[in-house]
Amino acid sequence: MLSPAGWRLISRLLLLAGADVLGLLLLGPVVLGGHVDAFYGRFTSPQAGSLIIGTSRAAQGIQPAVLAATLGNRFEVTLLNYSFTLTHSPYGPAYLHSIERKLRPDAKNGLFIVAVDPWSLSLTGAEGSFPEDNSFIGQLGQVSQNPNLAYLARFQTKPLYRLLLDYATATERLHPDGWLEVTIGIDSAQVRARTARKLQDYRRLAASQHLSSGRLAALRQTIELLKQHGRVFMVRLPVGATLLQLEEQYQPDFDQRMRQTAAELAVPYLDYSAQPYATTDGNHLQRAASQDFSVRLAQDLKGYQLIPKSEIPVRK
Amino acid sequence: MLFNSLHFLVFFPIVVGLYYGLAPRWRGALLLLASYYFYMSWRAAYALLLLATTLVDYYSGYRMSQLPTKQARRPYLYLSLISNLGTLFVFKYFNFFRDTAVQLAEALHLPATAVPAFGLLLPVGVSFYTFQSVGYIIDVYQGRLEAERNFGRFALFVAFFPQLVAGPIERGGHMLPQFKRTHRFDYARVVSGLRLMAWGLFKKVVVADRLALFVNPVFNNPREHPEGLVLVLATLAFTFQIYGDFSGYTDMARGAARVLGFDFNLNFRQPYLSASVPEFWRRWHISLSSWFRDYVYIPLGGSRVAPARAYGNLLAVFLISGLWHGANWTFLVWGGLHGLYLVVSTWAKPARERLAQLTGLAAHPSLRQVLGVVITFVLVAYAWIFFRANSLSDAVFISQRLGNGWAALDGQKVATLLLDFSQHYRPELAMAGLGVVLMLVVEYFGRNRSLQAWITGQPFGVRWVGYAGLTLLILYLGIFNSTSFIYFQF
Repeated sequence: MLSPAGWRLISRLLLLAGADVLGLLLLGPVVLGGHVDAFYGRFTSPQAGSLIIGTSRAAQGIQPAVLAATLGNRFEVTLLNYSFTLTHSPYGPAYLHSIERKLRPDAKNGLFIVAVDPWSLSLTGAEGSFPEDNSFIGQLGQVSQNPNLAYLARFQTKPLYRLLLDYATATERLHPDGWLEVTIGIDSAQVRARTARKLQDYRRLAASQHLSSGRLAALRQTIELLKQHGRVFMVRLPVGATLLQLEEQYQPDFDQRMRQTAAELAVPYLDYSAQPYATTDGNHLQRAASQDFSVRLAQDLKGYQLIPKSEIPVRK
Repeated sequence: MLFNSLHFLVFFPIVVGLYYGLAPRWRGALLLLASYYFYMSWRAAYALLLLATTLVDYYSGYRMSQLPTKQARRPYLYLSLISNLGTLFVFKYFNFFRDTAVQLAEALHLPATAVPAFGLLLPVGVSFYTFQSVGYIIDVYQGRLEAERNFGRFALFVAFFPQLVAGPIERGGHMLPQFKRTHRFDYARVVSGLRLMAWGLFKKVVVADRLALFVNPVFNNPREHPEGLVLVLATLAFTFQIYGDFSGYTDMARGAARVLGFDFNLNFRQPYLSASVPEFWRRWHISLSSWFRDYVYIPLGGSRVAPARAYGNLLAVFLISGLWHGANWTFLVWGGLHGLYLVVSTWAKPARERLAQLTGLAAHPSLRQVLGVVITFVLVAYAWIFFRANSLSDAVFISQRLGNGWAALDGQKVATLLLDFSQHYRPELAMAGLGVVLMLVVEYFGRNRSLQAWITGQPFGVRWVGYAGLTLLILYLGIFNSTSFIYFQF
């Protein structure tokens, strides 16, 4: 039997825990709104019928809302930008499984934009070992749960005060449709400095990586999977001239390889890499450029036979 | 299992609940089981090593207690020393000495014998529990302590989970009688233990782990940060990081023990307020420095020998202390540096007194005290470079560049360097500064009084609002990536 002093302690500790819970309620709107970080919201939204997949280029460069507005109901809703970063979502078994989980199993007339570039198909070190297997892409079993407790417990590593501060002051805002809006300085000096740094990073990658047969195989498997659920487009997004030059030096026949893959898999390949859109760092499109590019992409997609309106199932 | 992990948050209340719920005669067994579970949650197989150490030392102590003279007891002392120090040597030092011998042979163009390196993982806390056990054995050998006849009680003394992996290194004479007592649930005592645990957690997850965000990139790649300002900031940050980390751990250990009714010795007493290096070592990691004093320095003759021999003793003790911290030249240099500080400090004491008279400082004891604190802090912080650096060459690189680029600093350059140092996130740097200041203010406030008594004297509402504030600060500002404590590696 617990002594009165024991009960006193327990009751006071419970009160203390209650006060702490009340204090933590401040985080409620941030967490439930999916604004924990640049990724979390994509794991709290419901399964999607259409997806944009790729790395941060696609995450920032393609706006689902623009595509939806232009293409109307010519594909199965909802369209979610399920792209992350080069670290988390290069093509590989982990990303493939994550996409499988995020995709509505009954989707038949989806629109799938598969963004490709040499980096998302490259690997450092031996084949068969993919670093992203240990990230949330590889480890998160439940990708459509709000709140996503598994993500919060294992992959949300920021101190909690930063959830509030970042929400209030963030330069990054993840939209409910998965588009990552980045608001940073875009005067020419800032862009030049960022581009130089980014180029340095990618030069290091070019020196240490190789085009991976495992990743190329995973890309094929991903496209095969998505084809069962709708129409797939391979897209190479615009980048700055210097980075494009580096990509051409790193993988001179990349474009040819993608065309060949697309032809073999019978999906269109749209190459915008040399198109003159403004970037923040040579790699990611500026906010306005991302809007313009999304409009252009949507216009181009219009030219393809998507889905006749009558065939699109009405979701309740 | 780390004190700052979810695992411990579940484990500890269960142990406390069971402990006070069980009849007193079962409590020791519960604590022993819990302690082994605590240790095995890191790597189960290594609990066998802990058990082996316990068995050998129990047997040695037991046998010595049956023998009347030191001479008769000596074989059992040697058995224990060989077993304990042999374990330490194999698991911690073999590869270091092997590599050093190979390098030396290569440098002298001698044929190096192909002795294979051991691929053994260092058992967590091995230096702590072996030293605690060795202390017990020496005390029994010297006749200062009755050998413990109850094996379970002795096993608990070696493995008691709050201090198993990073101390404080307790003495048999202090702990064993406590294991014999029945500890009743004492509300005030439990609350005071929980307070200490919360404060330790604050120092660890709010201060130390945050400072590590800035320290690690610089110390792991010093050549990418050759600017004096950044290196000085990283050194200062590490100076507070290691204090927050280790004293935070100790506070949690002492708090956890107190909740269960046990008292550990104080391990830190505001060390950065020391006015001399000898004073620093009376205030920093007290359980280790007093262990070295009692079991190495005094048996070597201490200061009651010729000055040259006494200086040699000091140097030897600090070199061993450096090696105790890790099998790496960086720790050896760190220990040697502190040994040198102490030798110079002792040797130059008359000269310093004369200088104080000459400059008039002797008439201003407060000013002299402040000056002493500043100089001691700088010396200690400088030595930490060797402790933290990944290699001796890194430490030398950092040392050589501490004065680099100060003349060319202007406002913009400082702002750029600070932004770089803060990993491009200034609020974290501000939080780190705030945490350090809060930690130092609290420690300063507690230098001449019992903070626990002061808190207990406050009205109920103030106290519990304070607890809620502290726990919310920990929750909101804490970094919970389950980073290990620095001293777990020793």
